Amino acid sequence: MDIREYIESGAIESYVLGLADAQEAAELELLSRQHPEIRDAIDAFEASLESHALAHAVPPPAGVKEKLIGELKDGFVVTDVITTAPVISVNRRTRYIAAAAVILLVVSAGLNIYFYNQFRDTRNQYQALLIQKNSLLAENNVMQARSLNMYEGMQMMSDPAVRKVSMSGAGTGVKERENNLATVFWDSKTKDVYLLGNKLPQAPAGKQYQLWAIVNGKPVDAGMMGDCQGLCRMKNITAASAFAITLEKAGGVAQPTLSELQVIGKV
Amino acid sequence: MQVVKKYSETELVMLLRQRSGDVFEYLYDNYAGALHSIILNIVKEEQQASDVLQDVFVKIWKQIGNYDSSKGRLFTWMLNIARNSAIDLVRSRHFQNSQQTLELSEEVYNGGSTEGLNTDHIGLRKIVHQLKEEQRVLIELAYFQGYTQDEIAKLTALPLGTVKTRIRAGLIQLRQMIKI
Repeated sequence: MDIREYIESGAIESYVLGLADAQEAAELELLSRQHPEIRDAIDAFEASLESHALAHAVPPPAGVKEKLIGELKDGFVVTDVITTAPVISVNRRTRYIAAAAVILLVVSAGLNIYFYNQFRDTRNQYQALLIQKNSLLAENNVMQARSLNMYEGMQMMSDPAVRKVSMSGAGTGVKERENNLATVFWDSKTKDVYLLGNKLPQAPAGKQYQLWAIVNGKPVDAGMMGDCQGLCRMKNITAASAFAITLEKAGGVAQPTLSELQVIGKV
Repeated sequence: MQVVKKYSETELVMLLRQRSGDVFEYLYDNYAGALHSIILNIVKEEQQASDVLQDVFVKIWKQIGNYDSSKGRLFTWMLNIARNSAIDLVRSRHFQNSQQTLELSEEVYNGGSTEGLNTDHIGLRKIVHQLKEEQRVLIELAYFQGYTQDEIAKLTALPLGTVKTRIRAGLIQLRQMIKI
């Protein structure tokens, strides 16, 4: 239905002036609830009808008012207008709009709280994931480095020029050290020395394992076994008949403490 | 009569329902003239118009509980009470005189009052008098004499659709004319 056309049809004026029949009135009341424009047009016509009537009023003869009051005054109640709760002048439409606005505000506030909570949860989860991701990345880097080391170690070990010297604790004469095991990989070309601590107890605080090369029957310092993972790169040794490890104070010593001999093995 | 408003419509209705005598007087002071004008448009005789006006305010006072603000303004409600009361009086008068149809028709087509005061030149009727003849006659019958559109179709021997169309077209004109 064309609302504009309906408003201009005269149906509204007919209704307001009381000329519409029951069916026309029912139709208009239904339409006015569905279409605010029609409601507005009704309000506007009623308002101009009232203004026109007030502007063209004909004062009634004196005495009518007195007769009326005489007739009705028994029903009058004195209302103190000043103490009456102030009534804000609003028309029906404004009231509906105000009610709708309040409802929308409450709904909106509720949604704000709900969405804020959702947002906060999501942000926390996101940060947790971010931390997890970073630690995984770091672990991954460590694993890669370790993997690369192992690869290089395997390359080195499988080189035919590299000699493998197994050192065991069996020769130390100390029962607790009998199961100790360590391996030296010695490159006969480059003279590089690598040490793998297969089975060595954790060095106590302030102590480190020190590798010795036995050259012409004398111990030569071959370096300290630090925090290295897997294979430890030691000092280069040009010639040796055997390798041994002692537990020494951190940083190493010039001469091995023989009572602290952990493992020994011949080349 | 230009009225300085003191109460909003909501306040008026609320206080009338609380039976406030002050507010009833205020309502009379502000609206009696406007309602008197429409009653005069229909009744034409001044003493009878005053009686109807008094009757209308008694009805407003007694029936304010029935007023439904969702259906329209307070003034529209009062205006309809005034119009209906005036038409009722005219009909009972004509019924007593037993010359209803004849006299009504004469009034309409002569476009004038047969009694002392010419009330065609006041209020809403003055506006209706400025409409085209074909619209004026039908609106006179419908609004000031209270005939239904069906009755008017029979009275004038026009098709109902034509009656409705002419009345509505006239009311659109009227709407433009009363706009201030």
